[in-house]
Amino acid sequence: MALLARVADRILWGARYVERAEDTARIIRSYADLLVDLPTRLSGGWEPLLALTGNHQPGLAGEHDIVEYLVADTTNPGSIRATVGRARENLRTTREVVPREGWYTLNSLWQYVESEAERAVGRRTRDRFLGRVIEESRRLDGVLESTMTRSEPFWMWRLGRLIERADMTTRVVGVRAAALLELRRRGGGAVEQYPEVQWMGALRSVSALQMYQRAVSGPIEGTDVVRFLLFHEHFPRSVRACLDEIRSLLGLLPEPIVVLERLEVVESVLMSCDLVTDDGVALDAAMDRVQSAIAEFTEAIGSRYLSIAADGADLALRAPSAPTGTSQFDTTRPSR
Amino acid sequence: MDELLWPDGTPRPVAAELMALVDAIGRGELAERQRVAEVDILTMGITFTVYSDGANIDRAWPFDIIPRIIDGTEWAAIEAGLIQRLSALNMFIDDLYNEQRVIADAVLPREVLDGSENFRPQCRGLHPPLGIWAHICGSDLVRDDDGRMYVLEDNLRVPSGVSYVLENRAIAKRAFAEVFARQSIRPVDGYTDELNRVLGSLTSTTQPTIAVLTPGVFNSAYFEHSFLAQRMGAELVEGEDLIVCDDQVFMHTIDGLERVDVIYRRIDDLYLDPEAFLAESAIGVPGLMRAWRAGNVAIANAPGAGVADDKVMYAWVPDLIRYYLGAEPLIDNVPTLRCMYPGERAEVLDNLRDLVLKPANESGGYGIVIGDRASDAELEAVAEAIEADPRNWVAQPILSLSTVPTLIDGELESRHVDLRPFILTGVESYVTPGGLTRVALPKGSLVVNSSQGGGSKDTWILDPLPAADGGQDR
Repeated sequence: MALLARVADRILWGARYVERAEDTARIIRSYADLLVDLPTRLSGGWEPLLALTGNHQPGLAGEHDIVEYLVADTTNPGSIRATVGRARENLRTTREVVPREGWYTLNSLWQYVESEAERAVGRRTRDRFLGRVIEESRRLDGVLESTMTRSEPFWMWRLGRLIERADMTTRVVGVRAAALLELRRRGGGAVEQYPEVQWMGALRSVSALQMYQRAVSGPIEGTDVVRFLLFHEHFPRSVRACLDEIRSLLGLLPEPIVVLERLEVVESVLMSCDLVTDDGVALDAAMDRVQSAIAEFTEAIGSRYLSIAADGADLALRAPSAPTGTSQFDTTRPSR
Repeated sequence: MDELLWPDGTPRPVAAELMALVDAIGRGELAERQRVAEVDILTMGITFTVYSDGANIDRAWPFDIIPRIIDGTEWAAIEAGLIQRLSALNMFIDDLYNEQRVIADAVLPREVLDGSENFRPQCRGLHPPLGIWAHICGSDLVRDDDGRMYVLEDNLRVPSGVSYVLENRAIAKRAFAEVFARQSIRPVDGYTDELNRVLGSLTSTTQPTIAVLTPGVFNSAYFEHSFLAQRMGAELVEGEDLIVCDDQVFMHTIDGLERVDVIYRRIDDLYLDPEAFLAESAIGVPGLMRAWRAGNVAIANAPGAGVADDKVMYAWVPDLIRYYLGAEPLIDNVPTLRCMYPGERAEVLDNLRDLVLKPANESGGYGIVIGDRASDAELEAVAEAIEADPRNWVAQPILSLSTVPTLIDGELESRHVDLRPFILTGVESYVTPGGLTRVALPKGSLVVNSSQGGGSKDTWILDPLPAADGGQDR
């Protein structure tokens, strides 16, 4: 059974929004956790969290305002509340394709977020809220995993999840590198006392700490962490593993050649990343390059599969339509 | 009269089981079951959209857990009456777009057709498969104080509400599981299969691609469009998903263009095809009418079917049944005065206070004036409107509408209801067992429209239990 291009678009972006909400929740949680461990002088405050989640909002400062902006602010399209709301809208409008239970799961998450987001800004309730967002997002994946026929709609859902996840992991690595630089500048030699705490935070923010420790026995060390997060073949949040699964999904979709070409660009940009972690600038720049390549790859998917104009020649009869309005998500996020 | 209770407040036979349970559990538990039903509605995302101040607001579907119950024997007669009505209406529509015998034989005055807003000259000379134009109809029934059911109107364009019939049942089954277990209540879930069958029968293609055409995600009935597509395994398309090439309809998929064989359209005629109707329509599909005329796509309901749901045409339906079927109507119309005739008009103008005054082509309850609730100024305005355009006004007596006990602030109170069954016409006919019961929630109100403060109830068609199974707990 065929999949409408417009519906494919909504599913893929719905998946990205959900993944975005989950990843943002995890990053905030691990960041808060990290701040507790570091002496105030070294922490760098809450501002790096904005960059970490791909948000850019000059003038915001302090824990309350920044957390509120990332969690509850409806004017911030990247806030958890806004992304869950958009994901829900996309699933509401693809209910003929997505299993009912999937819709119920996301709809109840949305109800929870709508009623609790404001309260989640405070420290006492925050952790529980973020935990619930992460769990419900995973539950949704579980529901779809176990109820959805393996066909185009499911593959679109997976693609959306993986693209967003790969992007988020590069962000965690990139921002960590930048933060390290900043700390070094600020703290002089003192920072050398806590590098493992910093890198542990990076691992936690992608739920990778335990798997890292099993894969790399021995003390936590920057280069190994970056290698693990970028290149590990089998860790599901490593950029490499995401790209591998994306590649096999594309193999299932009709005529993916143009899109595969763009994926190869992402892969080669990733492979060319330098692993010298004491040079934060280089690592940060490398992550920016990977992110741009991912954004271009996403555009290639959009024009190949998700837009009505993809039918090309047949459309001579008809003026090209405007984009469907569901995917004006910031694919090209502001650079830091 | 009350559907469930005798005038002394004791339950009628159809409601005996239910009311026994309601009394046994007490008001607190009843209110709790109502609350659980409302939570279910939120979790399931059962909504409808209201337009207010230019904004679209998604509201939770209003549902009252006390059902309306109708005896199976009475329902059989209503069902037969509705099927009869739709047979005649379909023959009538086909006649209007072809020979117009009904006018030649002086059964319907030509001026009624001439004044019809929903007659589509673009459809002249067309013969849809099986001669059927209105495959899906929602007819509104009301019961007056005399205990009889009357057809209040027929909705032949894009009637909505059937999704709520199915969802209300899903929720009622949870609220009153023990009553369902002890009684024989006709299931309603078959509707979508029947609809699928009717739509599939409109094309000779085996394994046809069926699409539900929606105006879009902000339409007030979008929930239903989505629901029906889900339950039929059909595609849910918007105008921009479709394109007509060589008089064939295709949809844009990720594999390229794919042929569409049957369209269940939920867009009004005038917006269907900017080439044929309103050029400024942005939600339609240019060329759709060409494809339909060429026989390359089936459309349900057929464009033009709405000609028969004009509130003035309505007044002739009993005559149409006699004319086309040679039979007496099995369900009555509400007696209707036609303002186009001077005698009837005078009667209307002399008795405005005692009548409901209806413009011909409004829907959703808009434009209707209820004489005994209107101000002098409103009555004056409506009298002027009638004098100015008599063809477009009819008047009916103010029916009292039967009531059903309804949970209001924790207590059961009488509220007025109507009933919209859905009738499918294809090779065979199908009527939903029951239909959508709408209830006017404000005390004394007769306005049941959900856009104007109406709620809904599940509707039970109750059959006697087979003797062997009688009274057993399952």
